[in-house]
Parts: sequence; C-alpha cells; structure tokens
Amino acid sequence: MLDSQRPVRRRWLRTLAVLTTLGIAVAACGGSSTKTTTKKGQPQAQNEGKATPGGSVTYLLESETTSGFCPPQGQWAISGIMVGQALYDTLTAPNAQGKYVPYLAKSVTPNADFTTWTIGLRDGVKFQNGKPVDGAAVAQNITAWTTGTLFQFVYKNIDTVTATNPTTVTVTTKTPWPAFPGYLYLDGRAGIAAPAQLDNADTCSTNMIGSGPFKLKEWKQNDHLTATKNPNYWQKDKHGVQLPYLDQITFRPVVEAAQRVNDFTAGQNTMMHTTSPQQQDQLKALGSSQAKLYTEGDGRRENRYYLLNATTAPFDDLNARKAFAMAVDRDALIKINLKGEVEKADQPFDKDVPGYLKNPGFPQHNLAEAKKLVTAYKNAHGGQFKILLETTNDPGNIAEAQTLKQQVAQAGISADIQQEDQSSFITTALGGKFSVLLWRNHPGNTPDLQYVWWYTGSPVNFGKFNDPVLQKLLDDGRVATTDAARKPIYEQVNKRFAAQVYNLWGFYVRWVIAAKPNVNGALGPPLPDNGGQPEYLYGRLPVVGLWVKQ
Amino acid sequence: MTFLGDSSAAQVETALWEAGPAGKAAKKRLGVGAWIALGWIVLVAGSALLAPILPLKDPQAQNVDLARQGIGKAGSILGGDSNGRDMLSRLAFGARSSLTVAVGSILLGLVIGGALGLIAGYYRGKIDTLISVLFDTMVSIPALVIAATMVVTLSPASTKGGGTHLNRLLVLVLAIGVVATPLLGRITRASTLAWSEREFVLAARAQGSKNRRIVFREVLPNVLPAMFSIALLGMAIAIVAEAGLALFGVGVNPPTPSWGNMIALERGSLAQYPFMVFEPAAMIFLTVLGLNYLGDVVRARFDVREGGL
Amino acid sequence: MRLIARRLLQLVVVVILATFIVFALQKARGGDPATAVIPFGSAQQRAQFNKDQHLSDPYFVQYGKWLGNFLQGDMGKTYNTNQDVSDLVKDAAPVSIQLILYAQVLALLIAIPAGVFTAYRAGTKTDAAINAIAFGLLSIPAIVLALVLSYYLSAKWKIFTTPYVPLGAGLSEHIQGMVLPVVTLAVGQIAVYMRLLRSDMIATLQEDFITMAKSKGISNQRVLWRHALRPSSLTLLTVAGLNFGTLISGAIIVEVLFSLPGIGQLLANAIVQVQYPMLQSIVALIAIVYVVVNFLLDALYVVIDPRIRHARSAA
Repeated sequence: MLDSQRPVRRRWLRTLAVLTTLGIAVAACGGSSTKTTTKKGQPQAQNEGKATPGGSVTYLLESETTSGFCPPQGQWAISGIMVGQALYDTLTAPNAQGKYVPYLAKSVTPNADFTTWTIGLRDGVKFQNGKPVDGAAVAQNITAWTTGTLFQFVYKNIDTVTATNPTTVTVTTKTPWPAFPGYLYLDGRAGIAAPAQLDNADTCSTNMIGSGPFKLKEWKQNDHLTATKNPNYWQKDKHGVQLPYLDQITFRPVVEAAQRVNDFTAGQNTMMHTTSPQQQDQLKALGSSQAKLYTEGDGRRENRYYLLNATTAPFDDLNARKAFAMAVDRDALIKINLKGEVEKADQPFDKDVPGYLKNPGFPQHNLAEAKKLVTAYKNAHGGQFKILLETTNDPGNIAEAQTLKQQVAQAGISADIQQEDQSSFITTALGGKFSVLLWRNHPGNTPDLQYVWWYTGSPVNFGKFNDPVLQKLLDDGRVATTDAARKPIYEQVNKRFAAQVYNLWGFYVRWVIAAKPNVNGALGPPLPDNGGQPEYLYGRLPVVGLWVKQ
Repeated sequence: MTFLGDSSAAQVETALWEAGPAGKAAKKRLGVGAWIALGWIVLVAGSALLAPILPLKDPQAQNVDLARQGIGKAGSILGGDSNGRDMLSRLAFGARSSLTVAVGSILLGLVIGGALGLIAGYYRGKIDTLISVLFDTMVSIPALVIAATMVVTLSPASTKGGGTHLNRLLVLVLAIGVVATPLLGRITRASTLAWSEREFVLAARAQGSKNRRIVFREVLPNVLPAMFSIALLGMAIAIVAEAGLALFGVGVNPPTPSWGNMIALERGSLAQYPFMVFEPAAMIFLTVLGLNYLGDVVRARFDVREGGL
Repeated sequence: MRLIARRLLQLVVVVILATFIVFALQKARGGDPATAVIPFGSAQQRAQFNKDQHLSDPYFVQYGKWLGNFLQGDMGKTYNTNQDVSDLVKDAAPVSIQLILYAQVLALLIAIPAGVFTAYRAGTKTDAAINAIAFGLLSIPAIVLALVLSYYLSAKWKIFTTPYVPLGAGLSEHIQGMVLPVVTLAVGQIAVYMRLLRSDMIATLQEDFITMAKSKGISNQRVLWRHALRPSSLTLLTVAGLNFGTLISGAIIVEVLFSLPGIGQLLANAIVQVQYPMLQSIVALIAIVYVVVNFLLDALYVVIDPRIRHARSAA
C-alpha cells in the first residue's frame, strides 16, 4: 500500500536528545599524559641481536622537500636531510662525541695553518651509475657548492678546488678554517652527487645519483620517495655483511603531525620524527610494545627562539628588545605550551658547544622592569609599541604565539599574530620587514657552522643586525685553531647576544624519533675506520644500518 | 560554497526550488522540532551577543592549572584548552566570531547575488547570459582557492604591510560572501524566472507597470521564501567553511576564538584531550543541524509537493 | 548544432575568465615565485629566475603566454623541480577522480534506497527517523569527521590501516586505503541526495500514471522501482553530476587531512609555492570538467525525459 496520506510529523525532539547525549558522552572521554625527563647525552645502543638483511621500512617525514634533491641547489630541512643521507654520502660525518670524522672520504687533512685541506678518497667506491667517486667528481661537487643557492654564502670562504689526482682533492680557503670538516657534512646537506646528475641542471633536482646506501626508484611528490638497496654499496658491517640491510626504504611526507602518529601506529615497519610534545606524549602512550622511542639528549640541540628584526621599529631599539625579553615569561610558556617538558635556553649554544655559559647574562622575566622600558619607549615614540608575531600555521607554533601575545600585553606591548605557510614565511624572513618570527635553528657543536646566519650582510642573517663587535668575534672564532682558543671567543659571542638581545632565546628543541618494535638499527653501525657511533642530531638518525626483525 | 563535502547542499535547495513555482504557503503549524531548532539558534545567538556581559571567564586569560584539564576540572565547566583558557568562555566568544562570519557573509551574498539573480531572471536576454556566465565562472573555481587567496591578500604578512590589515572577521565575511554570491544568485535567478512567467506578473506588464515596480512588488515577495531558506542553509555551510579555512591558517585569527579555529588548532589534541575537539564540534553540529532543519521547514512550507501530503 | 556551438563558446569564456581571475588574485596576493622557489638565492639568481620563467614580462603578456601554451597542450613546468606539470597532473588526477567517484557511488548507493523508501513511507515515523539521521549526517563538519575517523578507525582500533595505493598496485589494498577519505567525502552527500530523491519521488507518486499502474494491480515494489524512480531521478542526476566539478574543494581538505596525493593536494601546493603555470592549468582543467559535465547533463536530460527539453530551455 502506498500510504502517502499520513500527515508529516517528525520526531525531532527525541532525535536531538539522542544526538546531544552522544556528543557529551564522547566528549567526556578525556585523556591523560605521561611525564618524562630529559635524557642525558646521546641515546645508547640497545642489544637488538644480529642484523638480518631484507625487508623494507617506511619513514614518515614532517614535510616534502619541494626544492628537490640536487645537493648544491637543495634547501633541505630535516626531511630533506633524511632522504639525502639515504641517497648520498657525505665526505665527513659526526660521531657521538660530536667530532667530524672521514666518511665517504678516507681522510681529511689540513696544512699547518688550516688554509689548505687535502681530501683523500677511498679506492673503488662507485656512484650508483657505476662511475667512480674520484677526485674530479668530488671537486665538481665542491665547486658547485660555491655557486649553489644557499651554499654560496656558506662556502664563501673557499678559494680554490683542485682534483690533484684520482684519489685526492685539494681545497684552499681564504682564511684559516679549522671547522672545514664540519662543512663537508653541513648537518647532512653536503651530499656528493654523480657528475652525470650535476651536469644536467634541468633534471638535477629529480634524477638523484649518489653513492649512498639506497638508489632512487621513484619520487612522486607529496606522496612518496622510494629507494632500493644499492647492492654495490661500499660499506659492510663488522661481520662482513653487505650494507644496507634493507631491500627498500620509502619516505612518505605526512605534514599533519597528528596524522603522522596515526599513520605510524597503523602502519607496518614504520618510523617517524616529531618535535611536538603533544605527539611525543601520544607516542609514549603507545607503550614499548608499539613503539621504540629515540629521544635526542642534551648537548647539541637546536634552539627554539623568537627572531627579532634589528632594523625596523620597535626592535631597532635595544631597550625595546630588552622590554620584550623581560615581558615574556618563558618558564610559564614552557609549562603551558610545552607541558614543562623542554629546557629553557638563555643562549644559542647547548651544553657541549664551546661558548656555552651557565649564565650568559640574558635578560630574565621581569614584568615591572619591562613595563618601565615599554613606557619609556612609548613616550619616545608617539605612544606606540606594536609588534607582529609571525609563524607558520602549525598548531603548536600558533599556541605558543598566543601565549607570547598574552604575556607581552601585560607589559603594555600590543601584539598581533600572523600565520603563514612555510614558503611565505621564508619570504617574510628574507623581506626584512617583520618584527618577530618564531624560529628554530643552530644545532650542533661547532659554533663556526653558525657563521652564515650571523655575519654582517649575510642574506640569511634575517634579523639584519650589523654589529662590528660580533663580526670581529665571529672572524676570530673562525680562525681559532684549538677548543681552548675558541671557547673564550664564543663565550664573548654568547654574552654579546645576551647584552644586545638580537633574539629572544626560548628553549632547546627536543626531537623524538619513533620506530616500530621490529625495526632495529636506528642508531646505525659504527662509522668506518673506527670513527665511533654516529651522532643523533636533531631529528636525524642514520638509515644505513636499519634492519627488520622478520 | 563548495567546501567540505557539503557542497551540494545548496545545489539541492536550488534544484528543489527550481523544480517549479511553489504553491501557496501550506498553512501548517511549526512542529516541535522547528521550535527546538529555533530555540537552540536563539540560545546560541543570545550567548554570542551577550558573551561580554555574561558571568564568563576572560576567554584570553591563560592559567597553567587549567591547561589541558578535562570537563569539570580545575573550577571549569567544560575544561581548559592547550593554552590554559576556559573552554566554556571560548565557546561562547567563539559563537560570536562564527555567527558573525556566517550571517555577514550570507547577507553579503544575498544582497549581491540576489540583486544579480533578480536582474538576470527578470530581464533575461543578454544581461542574463552575462550574469549566468559570471556565476558559472565563479562556481567553476574551487571555492577554497578563491576564499583562501582573498584572506591572504586582504590580511597580508609584514612583507606586504601587515599589521595594518582589515579586521579578520570582515575579511572572512568578504571572502566567504564572494563564494556564496553565485550560489545565492543562481537560486534567485531560477526562482525569478519561474515567477516572472506567472499570470499576475504578465498582467502587471500588460498594464504598463514599471519594471522596477513589478520586480519589487510582484516578483521579489514570492522569491523571498526561497532566498530565506537558502540563506539559512548557507549560514550553516559558512560556519563549516570557516573551520576549513582555519585548517589552512586563514580562518578567524587567533587568539580570537571561533568554533572553526578551536577545532583546527586543537586537531593534534584529539588522541589525548578529545574534549578540546568535540566541544566546538558539537556546537557546530547542533547549530548547523538547527539551521539546516529550519531551512527545510521554510522550504517545506512553500513546497507544493509536500503541501499536498 | 547551435546548442553545441554556444556551449563551446561558453566553455572557452568560463575557462578564460576563471584562470584569469585566479591569476589576478595570485598577483594581488603578491606572492613572489622567485623567493618561494629559491629563498636563499642571490639577487642575480632571482633576476635570472624571473627572466627564465618570463615573470618580468608585463602582466597580460604573462597570462597570454600561459594561455597560449595551455591551448597547445603545454601546461608548463614546475618552478622548483622543473617537472612537467602535465606529468604531475597525470599522477594526481586518478586519485582525485577515484576519491570523488567512489564517494558519489557510495552516497548514491545509500541515498537511492533511502530516498525511495522514505518517499514511499512519507509522513511516517520511519520517514522522520531516516530524515533525522540524514540531517545529522549533513551537519557533521568534514574536518571533524576526517580527524575522528583517522584517529579512531585507523590508529586506535586499527581497522583501516593501509595508506593510499594506486588501483594497479592491488585492488584490496587500494579499497582499504580509500575507505576513510571516501566516507568522509560521501557522508555530506548522502543526506542531500536522499532528500532530493524523496522530494521528487513524492511528487511523482501523486501523478496519474502511478495511480493507473497501481490500479492495474502492479506490485508496490515494481511501481516504485520501475515506474516512479526514473522520472524522479532527474534532479538527483543533475546534482550528482554537477558535484563532479564542485566536489574538488571538499577533496582538497580530505586529501590534505588523509595525505592523499591528488589534485587537491597539488592545488594547495601550487598556491603555497606560488606556481602560476601549475595553479592556472589545474584551475583550467577543473573549470573544463565543470562545464563539460554541465553540457553532458543537458544532453542526458533530453534522453531521459524529452518533456524536460522545453522546460529546461525556458530556464
């Protein structure tokens, strides 16, 4: 019977009531968090048993490297570095003591005054296209660095590059450069590519040919980059087993941090990295049966800081910078936004870096003093003290920016928040019109590696401070040949930053790398020629020694 | 307004209204459901309007002890967010932003789209073709592209003179209003086309009445119910659209709360603190439900087909 | 023929207008491709980049060059990695097409029986209940649904754990990986399609030929599915068809939240990286799909119900 004659009556009350109850019931299931303490130093290798070859791993990255993987032209952040070290080798590599030891190179030797560096190469090492990693190839790479997009500023100090013979390259520098071995690694960015790749500028960023443990299979931007085992790789493990162990490694960018944890949890043989305390707690809550966590210890951590623009109002005025630093209560910020799980920083350097000071004299939270300085500034500048807090649109960063805004408001500083996507954000930094950027940088224990970010006139000295005192210290530090000589110089650098408040240092970033319990070898095999354990540096662990328990 | 999978909601209404000129409004009484929906909307709108004078905590004040505390803890009713702010208070103030954007953008779309739709539908011919192609063009560009780019353009970073930008709520009203315009315009046009064919309009024309008079006196009053029903639906979609924009960092600018940016900014908290996502989500859900339902009630009252039931 | 010619002209006008609006919006936004692509390059490198990419040309010349290339089937190259945009689109398009297609099929599979059933039982409690559920589904913000599904169903309860794999790489993995994004996109559509069909169906059921059929003693099932459904499905078909063009905005958010490598993701990146050729080419393609689908639907109308021809041409 088609009974379309009944009156329309909808039971909305009942439905609404049911739906409302459901909503509240779901919302009431709150969560709890687990507290952790900061680990000391580098994570220790656990006994995972004997490595077995085969299998594959999927590494979930925090972003895609849209600039591609042509090492001299690449502008790699951590995600690019992870992919880079699978495909390429660097001439040197840092060990757990933070010392740069030869890696793809057999030796790296300076002359007496550190102005001529002789790079000795290993016999018989080949690129993935079968061509030798010889003097000519390495010289071509280093020469390409001196004209690369970011690299040209980094390697400004290089004078000449000569392939002396098939296994030797000689590099001369404009000034003595004791830190040069660190520049042959450059946080993992200085991968050596085959001449065939570098020669073709059109395909250099997509057609990767390195000498690394894995060989490019395919790269589908924003989805995955897959690399397969390089069967002719030059390294073997201590039992003489060919490295790498894995048949295949896949890198998958998952920009949404929460989604990355979801994919890590749901996936098989997965690894991931993150700096978000929220996601780190979520990983911890999984327990050891679902995730092995590698937490970066203290010593050489990156710094989270608030980059101030020293060339535009209000932060072209030292007192304004001081006022801002005193208005911000970093301890409270860490408690609220970082769950109290990170360590406050008063300086650019972490504990193992020459130049680290217990107390460099950086301005501390002092609301009364901040108010005084703000009032004085306002009186001198037409009653205004306005700033713009600019950040990427990551939820953690925005939460932090909101705390900053709230805190400085109490001192009379009016702040606005501007969210930008990653590339506009860098454009903003280079544009030089910002007042405050939420920034992250300066890992490692070789202070000279920070030169490019701080020298006067450097395009990537974003705050554009022009400080002859600092410049002289940086130049002195660069040519200092021993740690004993270096230390007092960088302590002065440290104090200068504290006195001039070019940046408001925030806290040391804590990286966590997670691996599924059956994924082993994340801390890597020892570096060749008794070079020691490889370093765990800011979200980067070696991939060459990964293996999967079948 | 084709955001977020609700895209065709507006099209449906268009199609329902396009299907033919409606008959006389059915003389039905409002059902219980309609009253509840109306009650909820009034409650939300009321607390949005009165938020500053209600006994609520400061929505910006941060309190370490309240950070990430669940429902009913640390002296709160609905808990505290990742920045230690009172959720209840932020939901109330969030309603202000969400509703301002929704009402503002739809009003804007209604005025511009409605005017264009009336002109196109009544005068037909070349002007109709012109306006229709314009509407088609607007609809053929993904709405998110238009809205997001407009927000970035109108509230720029420091490089482009940021800090002196327009109020973000106003920018969002403009951005969402622009993408709403062709949809509201199309339905007005379709409805106008149908009504302009009716005897009493033709009669008025034959008597030599001025076009403007006919449009305002004869056509518009009959087209209004359709526009009103679509507007209610549009507001529902605009609330959700703002949440989508917030995901890309171009929604209501924090620390000003909106339901959308509350969800977007706490999206990483779902696993550990689900209430931070579910509370604003429930507000959106109930409000959108209410608006959808009221829109349907309005439509049904003027729909000849269901009227015959 | 005249209709086809008119439609073709309309296609050209809409595509040109749409791409120009997007081009103008991007220019107004003031994004600088050179700094986005080589942020750490020198001034000369940037000048060279602008020259190579014809970015120092006058405003309209830049747009004209893109249009000229596009009409010859050349979508240009990406600024950063020098890849053919057409290659990227070829990779990404199937993902979005599958996402939208599956979502549509799923929505229709649920909506059609529900629509027919509620029309048949219009005014009953069941009708009200199903309508209420439909309204509920319509009111869930997709962003919340995506977050909830991917956390609870994927990470926590480990029901759908496969990431996206192409159709060619294994059917069951492909389906597994697509379930959550497809459900997210489909949920909003279900209610819309159902209500649409229900409304048209109620009207159809009051028509004489249905009464006739019933009086001949044809079973209810047969009347509903064989006689009433076809004439009632016109508006439903229209809207479902139109959605192919317009669902792309919904797809952007779903693709971003589920890390699907589709057109939406590509589009979002094109905006962020200020890639003019990529952005305009994708917008042009979407606009073309939209207009063509519109055209096909018009043609379909005539096939399904010739009576519509007149009514439709009046509208």
